[in-house]
Amino acid sequence: MKRGLLILVLGVVVAAAAYGCIYFACTTPARNMQKGERPELAWLKDEFRLSETEFKRISELHSAYLPQCREMCLKIDEQNQQLQKFLLGATNVTPEIEQTLLKASRLRAECQTMMLRHFIQVSQTMPSEQGQRYLAWVKQKTFLPSYDMSEHH
Amino acid sequence: MKNSVPENDEKLSRLLREAKVDASLPPRFQEGVWRRIETEASPRVKQPSLSDLFAHWLGAILPRPAMATAYIAVLLTVGITVGWAQANQTNARVKSDLSDRYVSVLDPYQAQHH
Repeated sequence: MKRGLLILVLGVVVAAAAYGCIYFACTTPARNMQKGERPELAWLKDEFRLSETEFKRISELHSAYLPQCREMCLKIDEQNQQLQKFLLGATNVTPEIEQTLLKASRLRAECQTMMLRHFIQVSQTMPSEQGQRYLAWVKQKTFLPSYDMSEHH
Repeated sequence: MKNSVPENDEKLSRLLREAKVDASLPPRFQEGVWRRIETEASPRVKQPSLSDLFAHWLGAILPRPAMATAYIAVLLTVGITVGWAQANQTNARVKSDLSDRYVSVLDPYQAQHH
């Protein structure tokens, strides 16, 4: 009975150890990716199998793009605040609201052009097949109508 | 009184000799009787409970080398399979989070937190 109990416990310990080792070993790359300074770029490198040279170039493009993006974010914030101010208590579409909405749509177009330019630059840095895959994926994520909109209609 | 008893016995014996049984036995009567005798004669076996079965398995079956090896091998396989499956799930979740993060970093309309 004692021997049987020992084997029973040993089996459970072996199973737990096997689980832990395999889980730890298989998730190490993902954990390393998350720990990095720019995990999203580490993911990009892994997903699109980039070489060190390609990755370096894409990181440079990424770093150059971020200040433009930041500036665009500030403009969008400002635009949104202005629109909220005009919308507060509005009962009809005033010329100010119309003007602000026009500016917002121009800003969106500007923003999307800037993004698309960056995406194309990044895709051209990748090997042809991966570049096409990247472009298709990123366009789907950023340019197609959002799920929320499609759910309503 | 004393003389009437043998006389009655004789009468009874004659009646019994002359008596004829008309009723026929039900089908497989004899077999049924034997079965009932066997059932009554055999000692009643108590149905073992689950804990009895487990104790028997633990004390007598599991310690056998072949059974112990098979048991450890099965649990080892289960541990490896579950660990691998869960690691795959975790990896898929991490990759999905990071791809969303990549898009939100680049698209000012998806997240404005630079």
